[in-house]
Amino acid sequence: MKKKVCIVGLLLVLMVSFAFASGSSETADKTSGSSKPLSVMIWDSNQEPGIRAIIDDFTAKTGISAEIQVVNWDNYWTLLSAGAQGGSLPDVFWMHSNESQRYMSNKMLLDVTDRIKKSSAIDLKNYPADIIGLYTDGGKNYALPKDIDTIALWYNKTLFDEAGVAYPDETWTWDDVYTAAKKITKPDGSVYGYVNVNTNNQAGWYNLIYDNNGYVISEDKKTSGMDLPQTIEAMKFMEKLINEDLMPPQHVMSESGDDVLFQSGKVAMTTQGSWMLAAFRDNAYTMANCDVAMLPKNAKTKRRSSIYNGLGWAIAANTKRADDSWKLVEYFCSKEGQLKQAQLGVTMSAYTDTSDAWKNSVPQFNLQAYLNMQDDMVIRPYSKNTVKWENAVLESMLKVWTKEITMEAGCKEAAALMNAILAEE
Amino acid sequence: MGKRSLHNATTRESFMWGWILILPTVLGLLVLNIYPMLMTVYQSFCKTGDFGRGNVFIGIKNFQKLYLDSSVGQAVINTLKYTLFQVPFSVVIALVLAVMLNRNIRGRSTYRTIFFLPMVVAPAAIAMVWRWLYNSRFGLINNLFNSDINWISNPKLAVYSIAVIGIWSDIGYNMILFLAGLQEVPKDFYEAADLDGASGIQVFRHITVPMISPTLFFVIVTRMIAAMQVFDLIYMIMEKSNPALAKTQSLVYLFYQSSFVERDLGYGSTIVVLLLAIILLLTVIQMIAQKKWVHYN
Repeated sequence: MKKKVCIVGLLLVLMVSFAFASGSSETADKTSGSSKPLSVMIWDSNQEPGIRAIIDDFTAKTGISAEIQVVNWDNYWTLLSAGAQGGSLPDVFWMHSNESQRYMSNKMLLDVTDRIKKSSAIDLKNYPADIIGLYTDGGKNYALPKDIDTIALWYNKTLFDEAGVAYPDETWTWDDVYTAAKKITKPDGSVYGYVNVNTNNQAGWYNLIYDNNGYVISEDKKTSGMDLPQTIEAMKFMEKLINEDLMPPQHVMSESGDDVLFQSGKVAMTTQGSWMLAAFRDNAYTMANCDVAMLPKNAKTKRRSSIYNGLGWAIAANTKRADDSWKLVEYFCSKEGQLKQAQLGVTMSAYTDTSDAWKNSVPQFNLQAYLNMQDDMVIRPYSKNTVKWENAVLESMLKVWTKEITMEAGCKEAAALMNAILAEE
Repeated sequence: MGKRSLHNATTRESFMWGWILILPTVLGLLVLNIYPMLMTVYQSFCKTGDFGRGNVFIGIKNFQKLYLDSSVGQAVINTLKYTLFQVPFSVVIALVLAVMLNRNIRGRSTYRTIFFLPMVVAPAAIAMVWRWLYNSRFGLINNLFNSDINWISNPKLAVYSIAVIGIWSDIGYNMILFLAGLQEVPKDFYEAADLDGASGIQVFRHITVPMISPTLFFVIVTRMIAAMQVFDLIYMIMEKSNPALAKTQSLVYLFYQSSFVERDLGYGSTIVVLLLAIILLLTVIQMIAQKKWVHYN
């Protein structure tokens, strides 16, 4: 009898503790209400300190606090979609053109069209139309533009000096890059002139394609442009760099990463997006030895294009704190928030005329180069299932980068795979 | 003794209590293991929409796609290469170590702790350290031995390099299990062998191994099932741009890419069903072979 009482008692305790474990957090929610922090999710740890500072200013103004969760790019979308499927998205999070169509068409994002109209701080005229378009579906807005980013050419002044080559400037064409790389690359493999791993497309070889008036995806998002003669001609430049060993071997670029090799002084030139500023600013070597110039132009077409993209601040459609979340997003995208973002050197803000603040945030670098690239911008290639065809294209490019197939064969294969995936959309 | 009948009050009571006490585990198994497994098999016959909505039943189309997918075939070979390299080595090394650490030598507990340590370290930490060790230009191994081997980017070598990490992490766990099994071997056998003048190796072959063959069987089967599911090491050590990835990615890696990166959960489930079938087949073969070499008292 005693044993039975003990066992029943244990079971009761277990069951009661389970009931309270889930219940207690709910009661805490109800009592604390607005003092509980909003959940904010981002993927760039380099931008976190700046965003943290902006949130602190917001909290000082409104009393609403927010917590940032950084999930790196590779895991961000997996986590977000698991949350979306399970009905537990963070309150506020970053949205990207790769995935925005999917989230909008499935009604995962809060419709903010009316809030924008009523807001005094937000006027859509002040943001690039292309970026607003990324986050618009059926005439309604689902996210506010956070920033824009362009691509530029970073170079190592010390390595250039050692080889006696003049620094890149606005007259440079891609042929000048080739000549410089040839002079700087050392035969023993300790220094290479250029670096661009196959997976660095947005900040890398995509720009070459558009310079030559080719394209990656057609305007109507139905066909691939990878097998166009202009595209293949442009990509043959990369093939030249690969075949003449002016870049580290693929396995080195893959194991260590473009930016790491650049920050370690192993490569003299690399094209990188403006979001890398924080990383290069915080690295003592790059601060002392490196600088940035505009992307070279195409010798034939004279075109100097830059892929650009802009992230959006989105609110979960099923958030329990829509008003507070909107206040936070409104602050992020207001002139004040955007100026702060630029001054802290986080990224180039989407709000017009805030770029000077970003440019001046790190005077040691020639950040005007990034601003100048805004003259000819092409939105990052995207569609409903961007990731699927992007991965297929990258796999074909991997074979080219490891010298298994020619660039022409690789581009044709990539186009075929891409067209098959686009047909399924 | 007759059939146990439920008409007896005490057997009925103990039957009921037995069920009440195992109910939490059984519920957990049903909800968290069995039901998802059945749902996965169902999903392999569907094309999944965004965010798990709108499952469209498409019959065996996913399986046809699987059959024609060359990367799946290669992944099966990769996974088998990994398993057939990792399991035997980790078992043999752990067995030898267990036998050696079964004797009363000085510092025995220290040695046992050292060999068990890899088990308590987080897999992410292990991956980061080995990634640095294996780096072809700047890693410790190549710089220490002045070699220029592409440990994790040579397609022929990478899967075995990853298997070495697997062997290193599993030795501790296997060793503990073998040590437990060794305690069950009666000392009389060893004494008798000693009297008969048997050498160490003979004792090992004819007494130790047969006596712990149940433990050995358990370890081999469970380690093989775990090895077939390798994912985290490959995911954390090799980037998508790694030239050796195609010859190293395992079935679970392909499943992750398909289900979570490309959001094609139907096809991902198909890959998992294939993996399930392969593991089932290998386990059945082992169970049958069990009768030949495992000695139960």
